[in-house]
Amino acid sequence: MTFLHHTIRSFFLIEFVKAMWLTLKYFFRPKATINYPYEKGPLSPRFRGEHALRRYPNGEERCIACKLCEAICPALAITIEAEPRDDGSRRTTRYDIDMTKCIYCGYCQEACPVDAIVEGPNFEFATENREELIYNKDKLLANGERWEREIAANIAADAPYR
Amino acid sequence: MVDLFTGLVVALSTWLFGVEPSAWLAHLIGIIVAILVVTLPLLIAVAMSVYADRKIWAAMQMRRGPNVVGPFGLLQSFADGLKLFLKETIVPAGANKGIFLLAPMITFTLALIGWAVIPWDENMAIANINVGVLYLFAISSLGVYGIIMSGWASNSRYAFLGALRSSAQMVSYEVSIGFIIVTVLLCVGSLNLTDIVNKQKELLELGVPFGFVFTPLFPMFVVFFISALAETNRPPFDLPEAEAELVAGYQVEYSSMAFALFFLGEYANILLMCAMTSLLFFGGWLPPIDWAPLYWIPGPLWLILKICFFFFVFAWVKAAVPRYRYDQLMRLGWKVFLPLSLAWVFLTAGTLVLFDWLPA
Amino acid sequence: MPTLTIDGNEVTVENGTTVLQACEVAGIEVPRFCYHERLSIAGNCRMCLVEMEKAPKLVASCAMPAGDGMVIHTNTEKVKKAREGVMEFLLINHPLDCPICDQGGECDLQDQSMAYGIGQQRYDENRRSVREKNMGPLIKTEMTRCIHCTRCVRFAEEVAGVPDLGAINRGENTEIMTYLEHSLASEMSGNVVDLCPVGALTSKPYAFSARPWELKHTETIDVHDAVGSNIRIDVRGREVMRALPRVHEDVNEEWISDKTRHAVDGLKYRRLDQPYVRVNGELQPASWQDAFAAIAAKTSGLSGEKMAAFVGDMQDMESMYALKQLMTSLGSKNIECRQDGANLDASERASYLFNSGIAGIDEADLILLVGTNPRLEAAVLNARILENVRARGLKVASIGAEADLTYDVEHLGEDASVLAELAAGKGDIFKALQAAEKPMLIVGQGALAREDGAVILKLARDLADKAGMVSEHWNGFNVLHTAAARVGGLDLGLVAENGQNINSLLGRAEAGEIEFVYLLGADEFDVSKLKDSFVVYQGTHGDAAVSVADVILPGAAYTEKDGTYINTEGRVQKAVKANVPPGDAREDWTILRALSEVVGHVLPFDTAAELNEKLVNELHLVDVVDVKPQAAWGDFGVEGDVAAGALISPVTDFYQTNPIARASKTMAACSAEFVQVGVALEEATGTHG
Repeated sequence: MTFLHHTIRSFFLIEFVKAMWLTLKYFFRPKATINYPYEKGPLSPRFRGEHALRRYPNGEERCIACKLCEAICPALAITIEAEPRDDGSRRTTRYDIDMTKCIYCGYCQEACPVDAIVEGPNFEFATENREELIYNKDKLLANGERWEREIAANIAADAPYR
Repeated sequence: MVDLFTGLVVALSTWLFGVEPSAWLAHLIGIIVAILVVTLPLLIAVAMSVYADRKIWAAMQMRRGPNVVGPFGLLQSFADGLKLFLKETIVPAGANKGIFLLAPMITFTLALIGWAVIPWDENMAIANINVGVLYLFAISSLGVYGIIMSGWASNSRYAFLGALRSSAQMVSYEVSIGFIIVTVLLCVGSLNLTDIVNKQKELLELGVPFGFVFTPLFPMFVVFFISALAETNRPPFDLPEAEAELVAGYQVEYSSMAFALFFLGEYANILLMCAMTSLLFFGGWLPPIDWAPLYWIPGPLWLILKICFFFFVFAWVKAAVPRYRYDQLMRLGWKVFLPLSLAWVFLTAGTLVLFDWLPA
Repeated sequence: MPTLTIDGNEVTVENGTTVLQACEVAGIEVPRFCYHERLSIAGNCRMCLVEMEKAPKLVASCAMPAGDGMVIHTNTEKVKKAREGVMEFLLINHPLDCPICDQGGECDLQDQSMAYGIGQQRYDENRRSVREKNMGPLIKTEMTRCIHCTRCVRFAEEVAGVPDLGAINRGENTEIMTYLEHSLASEMSGNVVDLCPVGALTSKPYAFSARPWELKHTETIDVHDAVGSNIRIDVRGREVMRALPRVHEDVNEEWISDKTRHAVDGLKYRRLDQPYVRVNGELQPASWQDAFAAIAAKTSGLSGEKMAAFVGDMQDMESMYALKQLMTSLGSKNIECRQDGANLDASERASYLFNSGIAGIDEADLILLVGTNPRLEAAVLNARILENVRARGLKVASIGAEADLTYDVEHLGEDASVLAELAAGKGDIFKALQAAEKPMLIVGQGALAREDGAVILKLARDLADKAGMVSEHWNGFNVLHTAAARVGGLDLGLVAENGQNINSLLGRAEAGEIEFVYLLGADEFDVSKLKDSFVVYQGTHGDAAVSVADVILPGAAYTEKDGTYINTEGRVQKAVKANVPPGDAREDWTILRALSEVVGHVLPFDTAAELNEKLVNELHLVDVVDVKPQAAWGDFGVEGDVAAGALISPVTDFYQTNPIARASKTMAACSAEFVQVGVALEEATGTHG
């Protein structure tokens, strides 16, 4: 009996037809995904995206070349060189992040004593070649200027939990 | 079809230049125009079918699929094509360069020349030859050469294993496809595809919708369709390019246009199989039922609609079922489909002889 | 010998030790800021408080002499609370600017606040802020960070001998500053940076350039003077970032001079990084092959008598040995290591060593300096004399040009006739020398690098003999060198034959008798005399000799090669490679080895190990590392009459004595600040420096 049952089931492609029917039903269901480039999902204020170097509201760069981010970076993606600026303050002359090495762990922004290096909300920074993914100080500062509003809002939103 | 375009060429030439061209020249131009009229839309159709495949598959997984390039992502395939066109063709150091580059060309060419015998309407085939079915069968069998050449020439074990699997699989399923075609031929009494469709018109007039599919040949249609899946290396029989075990099978060493040719050839083959299914079992260019207003819609459109439907089913199957194991694939081909189709040949032939229904 | 109980363990310590030292003997660490082994006890930071039974309050362990039967507890709740309190008080006014502080990562306060701090603060009032002070081109100040341990003040007075630093005002208004905000004019000033337990005093040239955790440390030997200070070179990438002292009780204790510490930036500038060949009067960049071919073209067929080689002051034994082998194979014996023309005798080892040893100063009871200014020639050694003058009342007398040596010196006269009189047994000092148990006679290059140098050497030897300065256990005859390579060169016998010295060789070169001169990093002589000779300069910097060189071969500086050096005591020390030479420059012995192949006399070694084996076979003493040798006493020098004229130290500008220092921006700034101060006064604006 079982044999007959089995034979009939396989001979008449019962399961096959069932599967087809199921997928057809799904075909007409509403989509579970969003229409991505035109619609975006919500991001946590703690989202760790593209890096940015921030400035103070008066335009002074925050980074003081303490090199804690360089020290903590587990992927050794950050390279910093520093020297006294003309006014005697401690500033970087070079701040490079190799985004191809970065693992986006966020330790750099945790280590930063002045909230200078942050991982902003931007995750759409694909490039056409690898060279463009080696960010220098200018690029990072430009990122900071472009995303400052969002970054500041995110930091403020997360502040009560820190 | 060729006559039609030859006539047009003669008329156009006379009207424009006031000279009637020589008969052979007009015929030659007529042939070229006819080929272009079929192939150019076909290539666009292939591109769109890739897009359709992705969209259908995405929809069944409740995703959106390509949606960025062009409205609704309609131009996605062209963007992909452009990208592939601009990439570098890499020939592996150990490859047999000539054969390596020849293989995708063979695959692509064979996928296109099959369309020469497809009748789009009464007297609308590029070559209305009386062994059309045999020709199609031969062309699709030749397709295995492109694959085995690529696998051999790549000098890579993944490619070679993929090509071996693919050729074994195609050869196996061609056997049952052959017998299925024989059952249809027995009923029609001709190898001409136009004759096969015309025979189904008699069925329509008797009140049978579509054609052979709703006759006792129905199981043969099912077996034919499944074999077509296997013949075109589509899921659930896409073992030659099984990502998990063979990376991309025989295509693993290919890049750029060479890869694109394989890709286009594969989809052109799928469309060809859809066309064959429509012609053999679903009445080709005929409307589904014998009702006068439906005849107002032109025949080629009916055929295209049927091809589209079968393509949808191809994509649907891909979304619904998991991949077979290779031994299961072989068992199905040799131990189920071959005896079944063979039995049906005897059954059909016996019935026809018993009731003396053999066509003249 | 008091016996104490510390945390339940009994320890017996020497008389005069403090409780803190006793704790260290017992293996217990007591936190401290103001206490330093080599400085006097101040007892003002209160971090080292420990509990002593039967005492009403906690005691400062650094200032409490260990007494018999004391019972000390270092880990009680009371001690912990006291330390936390002290730490909290210290941190009230200490800014939380570790991220921009160069001391971050190697800061005593940072480390101890991690161990003994409470991690929070209760102070809400205004904090103290102190203006930065000018302490010269080497020391960067951030006096808000100062915790008033006064280590720097004590160092300046006790070790540097320049009591310019001090604390003014009281209580919260205390400030450390230099007298009238002058620069700290000491050759040892850089050491206060190491001493400062916080980031108040940091290194100005090194400011903000690296973090301690980024640096690769290499323990090596300094070659800026003949002391052979033990140093640690810190490298980031291939750039030398800084030099720090290592502890070596018998050589440099834990101090180094400012030149040792800060001349390292000269390794970056004016470097020779590829070979050059002079074509039509102009130096053109060339390949090694072309440079070697140019040399081979000159040497082929040239007799050895027409060749000479001069060895510079910073060469390692291996390079000198390779050069000696090469010149010998070419048939020349004119190899000269006495660049300054000092009349030293290579045949008697005792005649050119600092026989008493640097550590011998700690035992000496009378020092007679002849023609030397140890403050400029060997600043670390001078600090050692000062320590003994302060601690034990060591007497120092001198013959030669008068100079401020940071301690009181009995000046006997300027010229060599004074020495001649002493050698004849006249004068009070002769009697004092006779009476002294361990007298030392230190002869400098200012006395020897004269035409009558050999005579002075003889006089000095006779004085040492007559005054009984040489006995079985004590050799009071000392020669203080200025060049790190000098003793090694003399040991290898790199002295021209037949009593020639560099001046006579240069004269012969000028006269055209010597056509080919090989300079191994030798710049400290009148190079214009080599105008007409074919000069090969193998060295590191574009210095004096480059102007006359016909072929330049870029070599490695002392941080860029493994090498052996012998200091003025005759102590063999090994330098270790810390970074790689720039560009095409190579380690010097490899250049000589490669050249030997082109000139057709292949040197018999291919690897550093083979070279070392050959060197040890020829000169066994190279194999005995870091031991002060005992050289047998002998007769040396030449009888004769001394010439008139003051014995003047060869070092006039402490900061500019060698090619590396001359290329260093820091040293140039120091020279402008401290040495040429009289010269530049007219142009000074008041905001310079």
